[in-house]
Amino acid sequence: MLSIEKKIEDAKASVSLAGRLDTVSAPELEEVLSKLIPGIGELTLDLKDLDYISSAGLRVLLSVHKIMDRQGILKVANAGETIMEIFEVTGFSEILNLV
Amino acid sequence: MPEMNAAPVTILLAGRIDSGNASQVEAEVRNQLAGKGKIPVVLDASDLSYISSAGLRIILRIRKEYPRLTITNVSSEVYEILEMTGFTEMMPVEKAYRVVSVEGCEEIGRGANGTIYRIDKDNVVKVYNNADALEDIQHEREVAKLALILGIPTAISYDVVRVGDSYGSVFELLNARSFSKILSEEPEKMDWCVREYVEMLKKIHGTLVPPGKLPDMKDTVLGWARFMQDHLPEEAGKKLLSLVEEVPHDDHMIHGDYHTKNLELTGDEVLLIDMDTLAVGHPIFELASMFNSFVGYSEFDHSVIKKFQGFDFETGKTFWHKSLAAYLGTNCATKIREVEDKARIIGYTRMIRRAIRRKGLETEEGRAEIGFWKERLLALLEHTDTLLFRTDEMEIEAENDNLSEVQSFVEERLSETTCPARAKMQIGLAVEEIFVNIASYAYAPGKGKALVRVEVSGTPVRVTVTFVDGGVPYDPLAKDDPDVTLSAAEREIGGLGIFLTRQVMDDVAYEYKDGKNILTLKKNL
Repeated sequence: MLSIEKKIEDAKASVSLAGRLDTVSAPELEEVLSKLIPGIGELTLDLKDLDYISSAGLRVLLSVHKIMDRQGILKVANAGETIMEIFEVTGFSEILNLV
Repeated sequence: MPEMNAAPVTILLAGRIDSGNASQVEAEVRNQLAGKGKIPVVLDASDLSYISSAGLRIILRIRKEYPRLTITNVSSEVYEILEMTGFTEMMPVEKAYRVVSVEGCEEIGRGANGTIYRIDKDNVVKVYNNADALEDIQHEREVAKLALILGIPTAISYDVVRVGDSYGSVFELLNARSFSKILSEEPEKMDWCVREYVEMLKKIHGTLVPPGKLPDMKDTVLGWARFMQDHLPEEAGKKLLSLVEEVPHDDHMIHGDYHTKNLELTGDEVLLIDMDTLAVGHPIFELASMFNSFVGYSEFDHSVIKKFQGFDFETGKTFWHKSLAAYLGTNCATKIREVEDKARIIGYTRMIRRAIRRKGLETEEGRAEIGFWKERLLALLEHTDTLLFRTDEMEIEAENDNLSEVQSFVEERLSETTCPARAKMQIGLAVEEIFVNIASYAYAPGKGKALVRVEVSGTPVRVTVTFVDGGVPYDPLAKDDPDVTLSAAEREIGGLGIFLTRQVMDDVAYEYKDGKNILTLKKNL
């Protein structure tokens, strides 16, 4: 179960994720983001209420990160302890712009 | 036609019959049959050592006049000749049974229908209780063959013999030791025995039997429950019957008499014997018979088990509890107790019925025993609403849509132990990565099943999750770990699943065995 909430102001967008970002929900997020990012210069993913992420979720983050790198910036905010731990063992903490 | 019921005339054939004496033998036979009309003729070949084609021709000539001719007590050598020449298909030919004595032989097993003795270093004989056991022997041979074909290691008899007034079937069982013997002589091997015993049990219960090949244990148990209606208060009787009725039909194999005398160690191979009770059905029926073997039969009189198994009541009880825990894959005492209680309901039902049928109600001692079990049965019926239980494994179509079902199965098992939230999340993560891997690649582009097993054991607690699939051989651990120090631009998308799994679990091992990929994940809590 993943809930996705988006806020867009001009070229800035913020997307809040809550629940689980896994094999089942990752394609859904990918679709939402791929529609949203054209023309966006700054995208913030708020992970405050995200409890769980698997490699399928990481895959979406990395591909969005790569796209945003070319057109602006992806910020990842408020990752909790569990999510942080996954970011750390996979080296994502070095790649992502954590805020 | 009075002749139809005429008593057969038996004629003894002896020594060698060949062209040298054939006409003489024929004359003698005709002499004995003279004037008796078309009676049945039995040629007793007990002492016949050889028969040539000249001899066979006289049999054919006699049979022309006496069509109801049979040949009995044929030695293996003569049988071979009769078989080669097609005689065994033309007329009834009965082989002579070798006579075997079990006097002074070690008893190595005892089941519902017979007793097994070791007759020499390599061979054992199962002597059937029923004097007219040829049909039973044939049945057991057929089910043993079926089990063997379905992958259960067992022994198949190669000869039928006479033992006193009974029949026996002979098996090759090299240097075998029963698990009962091991438990009696080397109690320190208890845990090893439990492991092997449970592994075989799971193998049996994991074996799907083609419909109609084996009897349905549920029918048998329903019969017991119906019998009990006259011996229980109405409400309790009804409840017992409906509990059994609600057990769903199950086409998986059950042994039916699975105790430690029926499991033999030969070399380093474990063999299942005494197959005549083989059936299909829900595993609760098996657990009921196991409970009786190790506890039930001896609960009233603790000395009973020693006679049957060679070990004492405490050993039996410990073995039963350890085996049940391992079978269920849990340490949770409540859960074990719950399943045990379900098994006891059927176990007591069976024992009460047996005792009543053996006229137990006619003696004071019998009444005391029946009362003892009945009291327990009634108490159990009061607080039991189903005989069903869950085991520690599930088999499921390997597809991403089933991920949440697999995860909740695993979570439910973890909730039976004290598992910290962080570890629960990590195990959940590993389960997702592996299951999704199997769903995506194991059977692609086709479909197939994955088996997921969760075991919680030991102190400190260790969780073991095992995945088994029958897809293409693939060792996910053979791949190099991704370089997690690369920059975003350099990193490939994907390839992190197995890496993450190894990070969050304490031990990940892969094995390809019997055509299956087996991935075992362990985490110490």
